[in-house]
Amino acid sequence: MWEYFLRRLLLTIPTFLGATLVVFTIIQLAPGGPLEQQIMALRMAMGGEVAGGGLAGQTGAMIPESALEELRRYYGFDKPLLLRYLSWLGLWPRELESYIATPGRIRNIGQGRQALVEKTADGYRILDPQTGQELKGWHAEPQPSEHGQERVRLYRLGFSGVLTGNFGTSYTYNEPVMQLILQRLPVSLQFGLIGFILSYSICIYLGIQKALSHGSPFDLVSSTLVFIGYSIPGWALGAFLLMLFGTQSFIELFPLGGFQSDYYAELSLLEKIADRAWHFVLPTIAYTVGSFASLTVLMKNALLENLSQDYIRTAFAKGLSEKRVIWLHALRNSIIPITANIGYIIGLFLAGSYLIELVFNIDGVGKLSIEAVFARDYPIVFGFTVLAVLVRLFGAILSDLALALVDPRIRFK
Amino acid sequence: MGDRVLDRDTQQVAVQRVTEEPVVSLSIFQRRWRKFKSLRRGYYSLLLLLGAYVLSFFLPLLVTNKALAVRYEGRWYFPAVQSWLVSLPLIGKLFGSDFYSGEFFGQRGNAGECNYRLLQQQYEAEGGRNIVILAPYPYSPLEDVTVQGNVAFLPPLERDPNGFVRLLGTDDRGRDVFARMAYGFQISLSFALILALLEYLIGVPIGAALGFFGGRFDILVQRLIEIWATVPFLFLVIIVASIVRPNFILLLLLLALFTWVGITVLIRAEFYREKAKDYVAAALAIGVPRWKIMFKHILPNALVPIITYFPFSVVSGIGALVSLDFLGFGLPPPTPSWGEMMSVGLQHLATGKWWLMLSPMVALFLTLTLIVFIGESVREAFDPRTFSRLR
Repeated sequence: MWEYFLRRLLLTIPTFLGATLVVFTIIQLAPGGPLEQQIMALRMAMGGEVAGGGLAGQTGAMIPESALEELRRYYGFDKPLLLRYLSWLGLWPRELESYIATPGRIRNIGQGRQALVEKTADGYRILDPQTGQELKGWHAEPQPSEHGQERVRLYRLGFSGVLTGNFGTSYTYNEPVMQLILQRLPVSLQFGLIGFILSYSICIYLGIQKALSHGSPFDLVSSTLVFIGYSIPGWALGAFLLMLFGTQSFIELFPLGGFQSDYYAELSLLEKIADRAWHFVLPTIAYTVGSFASLTVLMKNALLENLSQDYIRTAFAKGLSEKRVIWLHALRNSIIPITANIGYIIGLFLAGSYLIELVFNIDGVGKLSIEAVFARDYPIVFGFTVLAVLVRLFGAILSDLALALVDPRIRFK
Repeated sequence: MGDRVLDRDTQQVAVQRVTEEPVVSLSIFQRRWRKFKSLRRGYYSLLLLLGAYVLSFFLPLLVTNKALAVRYEGRWYFPAVQSWLVSLPLIGKLFGSDFYSGEFFGQRGNAGECNYRLLQQQYEAEGGRNIVILAPYPYSPLEDVTVQGNVAFLPPLERDPNGFVRLLGTDDRGRDVFARMAYGFQISLSFALILALLEYLIGVPIGAALGFFGGRFDILVQRLIEIWATVPFLFLVIIVASIVRPNFILLLLLLALFTWVGITVLIRAEFYREKAKDYVAAALAIGVPRWKIMFKHILPNALVPIITYFPFSVVSGIGALVSLDFLGFGLPPPTPSWGEMMSVGLQHLATGKWWLMLSPMVALFLTLTLIVFIGESVREAFDPRTFSRLR
């Protein structure tokens, strides 16, 4: 069985690469993507009129060619798509820094380092002026001379990308994307975990009660409610609840979004917990409502199916109490199908909640990334996509693992 | 009293009165339809939704600020009908223009589009033989504060400066909430229906081929599908829509590109099961072409997932459209859409403009719930599982 999971783990690699390649390609190929956005912004900044809504094709009317080239290089558009993808991943060298220098003169290259470009017969050599040794990873290429002075562009190539933990730097926050995501992950995790635990515990109990009273008014009414909940997107229900309970228009019971009160820091521990809980109620309902229907119905049907099995008949026949038969014998086997949903539901909570976070104004990963879409902050957008893909991949494995733990009959080949 | 026949699907005990009713053998679909009709919640939901959808095609005559009929100086004009005809795709151009200026009907000083509501008041005040017959709900989803008498944020059931009552109030630009809601229903449902059909158009043949041919082809494409399904599709569509600003058709194609996977998986499993059966072997043996076996022999036997999945596909289609519209990356404004109404509603929630949020929400909830009820009943009629419980 462990062999199976090892194989599953290895299979995530091609799937991860494939899925990220799909996202990367689609975003890069979409007309008006990152590069064109930047060119537009530059043109606006230079006071140029954008001609007739033209995006692609007619670049360069106002912007000097050198600046355009700089931009293309910055976004990697001087390379073909596949190489761009590989260098985004960190499997192909990319330009990490670049300076303009004059051969024969010492150039500061940041962080106290210096470089000296020497012209040789077949190109350039870049030396460390102090030690006289060649600097690794640095290259130079000739540039048009200025004021009769020869100039070169000095740049360093290196591997840096998603696989080396570098998701790039956000345009809007000017901070590493990884850091931004890690800062906000705890908030999202709190909601995810609470929602996860709540939905499982409520759904199991509700499913049991519905199975035991199959066909009763309670069963029918709760089915109806559960299906209404299933059909509505979580964020829409959240917005609806905000309208009902978050404003003065109806009943003002809960805050109008946010994660904690402004005066949170001044509260005592107990008050802090109460404040959090007060802020958590509505979002948690919105989080859980989507998974509610499938879990409850799965639980109910599984229990019903088990209750009609022979071993239950046997258990009743040998005189066990109904409680014992249901809670000990039938329930154990009925848990199996909803265990298989664990990974999917965890994924839903972690990476499927950007709209809920937006509605409730919760500063989690989801809100960060959806706002990045608004701001066209592509490093964050890509970073969140990678997170979402990973969560889905490992969620699926987690489901299988949980299933194998709960059901000893299951043997994966 | 319906005929009582042995009904395997519903596990009903057959009660035969041989003398009165002959045993009629019903086709499987007749039996399923009968079972569906007996599940009243789903059946009435279907009737209600279908009725509302059919009615929604007549919205340009029911909810519009154009008059159904105007009699002016002895002649009859039908602006609403004309505008409806002009709006028809393809043949619309044949009907010329639907524009009547205010001055044309004697509305002094109005060279723009005639305001038929005011025209009616004017004719009544004049007491002449001129008549205006307005639509049952005489407001359009797109007319905003630029139309005389419209005000922004008019609460429900209150009168605007001209004394007209708006059923559900007006939004931030003075547009009628009820009119937008009604047109939003038509657009959302049409969008989701077409999307589901598109999904099927892509997903069913692929799933059929995978299940039927199997082997290496199946394994390879399954891997690709797994990759495709791992892509967080709604987020990706949001990104792409934020870049390209799609129209109705582009948005459909964009969503269909990612949502076909669901039905493919179901169809594949169904074909996989069916192809092992004798009738397929027999068809192969007498040399029926493969595509014919797939689509004429197996497909009719694989209809259960196709039909039972459809309502849920429509539900997720509406959900996706509303989510995109909510973010402002859906259908281009000023298309009346529930998602856009909700986002306006959320913006003005804190200032107590609750009706902006309530109306589209209730419409969305009702519509989705009706479809889910239909879907549940269809599933029960097609895929019956009865449980017998001991004790």
